[in-house]
Amino acid sequence: MSEQNRPKKKKKYFFDYTMLFIVLFLVLFGLVMLYSTSSYEANIKFEDPAFYFRKQAIASAIGIVVMLVVMLVDYHYVQRFAFIAYVVSLILIILVLTPLGYEAGGARRWLNLGMSLQPAEVAKLALIVFFASVVCKFGDAIKERRGFLTVLGLALPHAFCVLTITQNLSSAIIIFSIVFMMLFVATPQYKEYFIIAGIAVVFAVGMVLLIKYDVIPAGLSYRFARVKAWLDPEAYASNKGFQTLQALYAIGSGDIFGKGLGESIQKLGYLPEAQNDMIFSIICEELGLFGAIAIILLFVLLIWRFMVIANNASDMFGALIVVGVMAHISIQVILNIAVVTNTIPNTGITLPFISYGGSSIVFLLAEMGLVLSVSRSIRLEE
Amino acid sequence: MSIKLAVLFVMILVAFAFLGIRLFIINRDNGDKYKKRVLSQQAYDSITIPAKRGDIVDRNNTKLAVSQKVYNVCIDPKTLNKDDGANLESTITALYASPIEFSYTKDELRSYILANPDSQYRIIARKQGYETVSDIMNMVNNPSMYPDFKGVWLEDTYVRQYPYNSLACDVIGFVQGDNEGAYGLEEFYNSTLVGTNGREYGYLNDDENLERTLKPAQDGKTLVTSIDVNIQSIVEKNILAFNEEHRNEAREGAGSTNTGVIVMDPNNGEVLAMASYPTFNLNDPRNTDNLDIKVELDPEKFGLMNGILDGNTDISEMDDSELAETVRKLAEENKGEQEAADNPEAQQENTTENPENQTAEDDSSNIEINVGNKEEDNGSETDDPYEGLTYAEAYDKAYEEAKMEALNSLWKNFCINSTYEPGSTMKPFTMAAGLEEGILKGDESYVCNGVTEVGGHEIHCSNRLGHGTLTFSGALEQSCNVAFMKIGTAIGKTVFMKYNQLFNFGLKTNIDLTGEALTNSLVFDVNTMTPTDLAISSFGQGFNVTMIQMATGFCSLINGGYYYKPHVVTKVLDSAGTTVETVEPRVLKQTVSEETSEKIRELCVAVVDNGTGKSARPAGYRIGGKTGTAEKYPRGTENYVISFMSFAPADDPQIVCYVVIDEPNVGYQAQSKYAAVLCKDILTEVLPYMGIFQTEELTEKEAEELAEKQQEFSTGSSGTESEEEVTGEIIVDSEGNNNESAEGSENSAITFVDESGNELDEEDRTGEKVEIDPETGYAIDPTTGILLDPQTGEPIDPTVTDLQ
Repeated sequence: MSEQNRPKKKKKYFFDYTMLFIVLFLVLFGLVMLYSTSSYEANIKFEDPAFYFRKQAIASAIGIVVMLVVMLVDYHYVQRFAFIAYVVSLILIILVLTPLGYEAGGARRWLNLGMSLQPAEVAKLALIVFFASVVCKFGDAIKERRGFLTVLGLALPHAFCVLTITQNLSSAIIIFSIVFMMLFVATPQYKEYFIIAGIAVVFAVGMVLLIKYDVIPAGLSYRFARVKAWLDPEAYASNKGFQTLQALYAIGSGDIFGKGLGESIQKLGYLPEAQNDMIFSIICEELGLFGAIAIILLFVLLIWRFMVIANNASDMFGALIVVGVMAHISIQVILNIAVVTNTIPNTGITLPFISYGGSSIVFLLAEMGLVLSVSRSIRLEE
Repeated sequence: MSIKLAVLFVMILVAFAFLGIRLFIINRDNGDKYKKRVLSQQAYDSITIPAKRGDIVDRNNTKLAVSQKVYNVCIDPKTLNKDDGANLESTITALYASPIEFSYTKDELRSYILANPDSQYRIIARKQGYETVSDIMNMVNNPSMYPDFKGVWLEDTYVRQYPYNSLACDVIGFVQGDNEGAYGLEEFYNSTLVGTNGREYGYLNDDENLERTLKPAQDGKTLVTSIDVNIQSIVEKNILAFNEEHRNEAREGAGSTNTGVIVMDPNNGEVLAMASYPTFNLNDPRNTDNLDIKVELDPEKFGLMNGILDGNTDISEMDDSELAETVRKLAEENKGEQEAADNPEAQQENTTENPENQTAEDDSSNIEINVGNKEEDNGSETDDPYEGLTYAEAYDKAYEEAKMEALNSLWKNFCINSTYEPGSTMKPFTMAAGLEEGILKGDESYVCNGVTEVGGHEIHCSNRLGHGTLTFSGALEQSCNVAFMKIGTAIGKTVFMKYNQLFNFGLKTNIDLTGEALTNSLVFDVNTMTPTDLAISSFGQGFNVTMIQMATGFCSLINGGYYYKPHVVTKVLDSAGTTVETVEPRVLKQTVSEETSEKIRELCVAVVDNGTGKSARPAGYRIGGKTGTAEKYPRGTENYVISFMSFAPADDPQIVCYVVIDEPNVGYQAQSKYAAVLCKDILTEVLPYMGIFQTEELTEKEAEELAEKQQEFSTGSSGTESEEEVTGEIIVDSEGNNNESAEGSENSAITFVDESGNELDEEDRTGEKVEIDPETGYAIDPTTGILLDPQTGEPIDPTVTDLQ
């Protein structure tokens, strides 16, 4: 607490209380929603309604401690470990192939290192730090096409490993997008980014059309089947479209103010993975459109704080870290809500701070610690 | 950089705004639809809770029919296929480790689950007992202890069980299909017994909160009947004994075509026992092992008609099944030949031997079939139900039909469903009508010359030589048809028919059992009744009745004239055992006055004391009764329905026992003694059971007989040998006996033959008196007065008499 008093006394350094408050609120709100969503299923599966809640609460507590520690450390300190983090995070992903890796929910994405760990979460944090450092080192070189492509290429090993080893397309997209956005902010160009984005959009639309008109048989991959289900969830109501449809039912039945906290029907065994990817639909059902928009606004507010901190950061490295975190949070929130509302095909993306997931919340809060650390370095003009 | 940051932020804002709008649109466009979907998914979740079918118990609460809770084992292939079937093998292994017998083998079940990944419900074992499924139940109820056991649950259901198997099968009936009663009480009281299925479902309350609600099943109600299991057992035991004793005696088969007995309480119309022969196992009503199924497909005729048998094959040595098999084989060969060569000779043969069956279908490979006795006058083939069938198919079809026919007649309750001419048991009714109307005084006398002429017909008495002069009482005692034709004429058809109506002949008694026959077309119409009709009606021929009509009517004759509605159910209890309905005895009408009733009682007692009913008297008791022998249609075939109607004890009737034997399997059927003796056998056991004291002194022979019976009773032996010996063979006196008459042997003198073959007179049989304690039925030592055990001769402590 003495640390909090210091800026007051000296009136020299900035501290973003608004952001800290938003983060803490989101974590606590997440725990409440998680308990509401998971207690029914936890009771059936484990005869303990608080099973998921307790695990998440412990992870959140650890995460908050981590956040506070990271916050108090000068973020320049982590720059030294940027390359090591880059290599280690890649190794961790590859370790999933070893017996240390384990499978849950039909996907092999986790490591058992005494505690369970999802290497993709580690990779996100590591890459944010690593790229902030790399971009600083490259300096003006990234403005050149060669430098730009080199930096972008550095993200490929992680994205590729996440995609192939853990079969996690969404995390690969997120990792690549974080790097992409960091570069976008760091360089003055527009054209290259719009070209790349344009190619990606055309590719995606092309794939969707090919799948839609059965040029590519949907049976080839479960992802293609998901695309089919996305286009017409009612037609696949019994399998691939089931989760999406149930999520839509939850959203649609929530009305303006919802059924009230804890009163969701869809969580009673109808909506699979309600406490994970689909938690936002339960928020819609219980708290209504009003609650959902409020949560979206909180995220907007958080992202706005990131922008403010990045703009005022004392150096490029700090600013880029915040931009990376900002990219991370915004992509995940947008993609998650897009999945829940069936705006894009179903893919496993969690809602930051709120969805169930131990490694996710710890690393997210570590990222928040970095941002707060950056915010503390802002000099206030007197 | 800050510009680019701002651009990124704006893009993110746009994305969020877009998603916000998307949320709004989902709510606006599909909100109501999705709300309904959510609710309809809830309704889908409801579970039916089956109601328990009510029990049927006897008057002492002995359970005659109960419903046992059992379990169906169900699987959810969808759940088992989850996670690439991670729990499939462990679950199947656990299932087959239990003692349950599944309708699939392990491999069949696995392939079924894999082939139907969308199925969520399949019963894999039905109606398993609690013991069998307890392991699985434990696993289902403790999912956390058995995490790799999934997609299995148990469904409650009930099975109907009949602890006494065939006992009272006609009265109880059985349950088939989906809890649907068939025959007897099960059908008549089906709606009372079934109850209402419950449901468990979720719904939204006023605050739109989900609530799980259990609407419990309303179990069916229990029927308390007036049946007494012990009396019913005694009755059925004796019916069986009779039918076994005379099995294959005069013809192949059981001791009678059918034997029916009704035991009623004359003072309230309650049925204490109702049985017929043959019986069937209520727990397995479709078992045909003991049925004689006559397939009306004559293989010999069929073979000759179709040119399959050429008349040279020696078929005389074959029994029916062999013959059928031979014809079937030949028919198949014949068919092959026709198909192969289209042999014109074979067709020629067909044409000559079977002209009436010749049609344009000559070249058809199907063998045409004629059914047994139908083909002679059945020129048109369109009437032939077996047209176009091969022999085997035709035989199967005929067999199925014959089987269903045999089963249906087995399931029918003879006592209420079959109609027959009552014969002389009608005579007390005729007398009662005359007495009640004052037409008869009771001091009349009748002269019987063996024959009388009515309406231009000569009608013989049972005794063709004539009974001579008979008193009023003597007419009934000797069952003299001539006397009764005179009585009939005296009463006149109007009065006679009025009383028939009063006694409910031609109407239903409306007993609470399914299947009572309607006899309104089987009785005379007073307007068209001829003097001959009246004459034969007066002694019980010419019109049809059911057993329950006779028994109920007779109850009113001897109980003071009160015609009680016959009934089986006395009380209806709810599942908790609380009485919800009590069936009070209901007097429907007064048939005769108390005076007439008393007179009829005296007359009937005289029949047993002095007349044709002597052999019905159970040792130690005084009873009243009347014999009956009626020749069946077509007359002259020597087929009879013999019967005995009785009440006991004589002075205060507590029960009425009515025995009807349809076509007894004996050389000469017209002997109502068989029915009388069966009645005596039943009463001998039933009266002590009912706590009715003996009033008459026992002859030595009777005492011996009784002692043997008790021994048999206490040792539980079902044998009847000892009874047969003591009862003796009934020898029909050649003198004064007319075998051709409908009344047969009723009037014939009887003699008793002792074991050495010496004839015994009535007096001779009265030897040394052994007193029988009326309360216990034990013999009393004449010198000491101590009760003796009939088995061992040892003295018995009178305080521990537990005979009943």
